[in-house]
Amino acid sequence: MEPILPDLTPEPAPEPGSEAPAQAEVAKTEAPSEDAKSVPDEYAPVAGRSLKEVEQVRMLESVAAQKVARDYQHVIWAYGILWALFAGYGIFLWRRSARLRADMDALRRELDGPA
Amino acid sequence: MIRRFLPDGMLLASAVIFPYSVARIFLDTPIERTMGTAFKIFFFHVPMGWLTMLMAVICGVAAAIELRRRSMTASAVALAAAELGFVCGLGVLLTGPIWGNATWGKPWTGDARQMSTALLWLVIAAYLLIRHYGPSGSKRLAAGLAIFGAVDVPIIYYAVKLWKTTHPTTEVVGSLPPALWAAFWPGLGAILLCTFGLMGLRIRQLVLAEQLDEAWVRVSDREATDGTDPT
Repeated sequence: MEPILPDLTPEPAPEPGSEAPAQAEVAKTEAPSEDAKSVPDEYAPVAGRSLKEVEQVRMLESVAAQKVARDYQHVIWAYGILWALFAGYGIFLWRRSARLRADMDALRRELDGPA
Repeated sequence: MIRRFLPDGMLLASAVIFPYSVARIFLDTPIERTMGTAFKIFFFHVPMGWLTMLMAVICGVAAAIELRRRSMTASAVALAAAELGFVCGLGVLLTGPIWGNATWGKPWTGDARQMSTALLWLVIAAYLLIRHYGPSGSKRLAAGLAIFGAVDVPIIYYAVKLWKTTHPTTEVVGSLPPALWAAFWPGLGAILLCTFGLMGLRIRQLVLAEQLDEAWVRVSDREATDGTDPT
């Protein structure tokens, strides 16, 4: 099984005056070779977007997001109130209906009683 | 048979259309350029406003018939319409300021349409108070108030034309782009069916309550003539 974390044990310090073999290897690879010089540099700065412009866009996006969130709060309140009103009226009708049914049962008992 | 199940059918249809209309409003409708997402309140605020006015007119006409013919059904229609006018009016008066706060930055500007709608709602509230808590002879006074409320309806409609108001003119709904119309119709249909379904149920209840009262009176009279105690 391969270790997940890299080995962080410090390398032994090189002898004074002598160059470590690993560092010598790195120095060798960093030195531009003849082949590398012929390949054009692939790095090119992003044109047309300054940091200031990006910050402005981000700020506008944040303002728009805040506005949408605030608007949604208004929309949720408005729709909630509308449906609560209709639900409230529905409950009022249901309670009235239960009272009427009880009244009708009482009347039926009253009519059936003497007979 | 159809008449018996019509209110239930209307409520059922409304229960089906409501989720569809909300899906259309929130998923298929583009966000309005100047008002943003708060514009979505329009899809139920405007139908509620129309229904408030319609209920006030129905209440006024039924009250006039009640005054002339002393009809029990007209009395029930007037009371049911007033109750639903009260509910729809409250909906308009609460959602309007919420929308106004989001778009105008102020919940209440006190313009002519707001004031005349608030006046209509107060008239309906007064009518309901008299009908529910007034003495036995107060039905005629209540009917007079209902007719006064119906007269307020054209004032609300033409308020935006007669006076300078923050509300848009009456032409704005007609000039909606097709995408917004397509979302407006289902919402209007759902709320219309729901209101008329509830109204039908309430009328039936009121007529039944009146018939029950008459039956109780007849039972009491019969027992009084028989010499037995009705209680």
